[in-house]
Amino acid sequence: MIDLLNFHIIPGLVLGSIYALGAIGVSLVFGILRFANFAHGDTMTLGTYITYTFIHLTPLYGIVALPLALLIAVPAAMIATGLIVLIIDRLFYRPFRNSPVIIVVIASFGMMLMIRSSIEMIWGPQLKAMITGIQPPWFFFDTIRVLPKHVAILIAALVLMGIIHYLLSHTKIGKAMRAMADSPDLARVTGIDTERVVKATWMIGTALAVAAGVFLALDGQMKPLMGFSVLLAVFASAILGGIGRPYGAMAGGLVIGVAEELSTYPWIGDGPLLSPGYKAGVSFAIMVAMLIWRPNGLFKGKVF
Amino acid sequence: MLKTVKQVMLAGSMLAVAMTAASADDIVVGSAAGITGPIAELVAPIVAGRELAAKHVNEQGGLLDGDTLVLAHADSQCDPTAGVDAGNKLVNIEQSVAIIGASCSGATNGMVQSVTIPAGVMSISDSATAPSITELDDNDLVFRVAASDAYQGVALAQLAINAGYTKLAMTFSNDDYNAGIASVFEQAFKDLGGEITGSQMHEPEKQSYRSELSTLSGGGAEGLALFAYYGSSGITIVRNSLENGLFGKFLAADGMFDTSVIEQIGADALRGNIMITQAASDDANVSYQAYAAAYGPAYESQGYAASAPYAAHGYDAAFLVALAIEKAGSTDRAAMSAALREVASGPGTVIRPGEWAKAKAAIAAGEDINYEGAVGNNDFDANGDVTGMFSVNTVGDGEGYTTDLIR
Repeated sequence: MIDLLNFHIIPGLVLGSIYALGAIGVSLVFGILRFANFAHGDTMTLGTYITYTFIHLTPLYGIVALPLALLIAVPAAMIATGLIVLIIDRLFYRPFRNSPVIIVVIASFGMMLMIRSSIEMIWGPQLKAMITGIQPPWFFFDTIRVLPKHVAILIAALVLMGIIHYLLSHTKIGKAMRAMADSPDLARVTGIDTERVVKATWMIGTALAVAAGVFLALDGQMKPLMGFSVLLAVFASAILGGIGRPYGAMAGGLVIGVAEELSTYPWIGDGPLLSPGYKAGVSFAIMVAMLIWRPNGLFKGKVF
Repeated sequence: MLKTVKQVMLAGSMLAVAMTAASADDIVVGSAAGITGPIAELVAPIVAGRELAAKHVNEQGGLLDGDTLVLAHADSQCDPTAGVDAGNKLVNIEQSVAIIGASCSGATNGMVQSVTIPAGVMSISDSATAPSITELDDNDLVFRVAASDAYQGVALAQLAINAGYTKLAMTFSNDDYNAGIASVFEQAFKDLGGEITGSQMHEPEKQSYRSELSTLSGGGAEGLALFAYYGSSGITIVRNSLENGLFGKFLAADGMFDTSVIEQIGADALRGNIMITQAASDDANVSYQAYAAAYGPAYESQGYAASAPYAAHGYDAAFLVALAIEKAGSTDRAAMSAALREVASGPGTVIRPGEWAKAKAAIAAGEDINYEGAVGNNDFDANGDVTGMFSVNTVGDGEGYTTDLIR
């Protein structure tokens, strides 16, 4: 039974909080700009590679240990990646602000491929590792084992979600974002600078994406496809939570992450309930089921 | 960083080659490879092997009437869908005479079934090893110079038995290559008296395999037979296993054979704990030495060794295509496969790697030729397959792999 906690629930929560961070960005962009941003996964990848560059190509890593280096490099990468995304928005999305949604969705699909190819051109298609070697787990009560990096990821994700909550509920820009998500025209009439809200949305969504990407790299490895490979789960999380609702996205991410891991626990008999080969199908199945029976998601009230 | 810059320049030059592929005196041969994707590190030296063969051809008189052999590159990404795209590009846009590749079995299966077989274009892969490729209904159009995993799987099972393993757990990635070799290995290991305590397919590109491994480790296995590409799930599985104490010993095949496994996990954790089989060349062979003498100096600066996995196969595949074009005396796609069979097997004048001028003269004189390649005699059987030899790679005292040939 302890295996359930060690190998299914804890990794599920770690994965889920990464999905949640990604899903908040997708949800915010959908709420404010009203399109599904396919490039979000590759924004994660880009942010991770920029973080990697800040750590390994500056003297930073030589001077301080990795955790501290990350604390400096990640915020810097958030800003750098956010600026790149703002430029992308100005050049590729803004001209389509008043066009049919499908056009800007396809534009984001194109950006997805362009970002990925640029990463392959600049950093190469090879595998990279944010940290190398094996990290032994911490033991609690002799049976519960937790990897230190997992503790760090969970704490950091919670802190980031707390900051997002504060931003959305207590700051002027956060309130403006919520107003614009509810009704863009009304928001404009009341004097809200919509382009400023759009910029804030991109910066916040991208910052969370960078964090999610770095956590992914810490838990696994860095490669140009890393962000794209979680994009489906991120979309599923956003839909589960109710698209356009950041709190829903947080809950949705955790549910999807844990559900994926629990699907392979041997609930009946000795073998896994679901062959791990089909694990990726779990988030798909949840997404399809939600779209059929509850297209508004779990959090359809006026949470946002 | 310097390495990265060089790789970018190499990628750029490949692009440039691809763009200039259509002039009148150029003969375009397609080169499909997993340039990006889960085995990118492995593929770069293989593509270099192909380039080296093309260079030898062009330096020593070129094809037919002094035409230039141009390799048009396409990225098959180790993925069936991308393999189809790459095949379409090479067949329909580049108008390739024949195709070298693809790298991975899944991409190759996709490419040949959807594009090259229907279009009647011959393809010759240098690293696709899945048994399923043998069984293709291919009108004699699909060849490979890498031995089928029907052999490698048995070799690995024998190694496992010799090393004293009797109970193993097994996991394999959900793709043509890994599923193919896993089923061969499972059968061979059982036939030799071993027991598979649990076998699970896993989905590549996931962030964590802890739950799968925890279930697998319940059966009392002595080690894990791991069939995966290192870049999409292999390294993650080794890391998850070691970090959680689920498995300490690993057996794997060539999809795991890359130094990045050691770089990311650390040599100490793997010392004496991992065995990886790999298609090998006999370095006592004259043909291999001829190839290695040319490859080494040409690509040393990029960090590619002549002994890199399947690099010699890449050379042989490209050289064989060139010989087939020369033998056919034209760029007629339909003539390639028969011509390839003639130049690859005896009887005839023996041609070794680098001996393009000699081969050209012999063909011009109407003689039969027999290419004895860097990886072996390359005598294709009825299915377009070859036999091969394997090595076993372990992490010994040093920071890299220790390689022993299985004879």
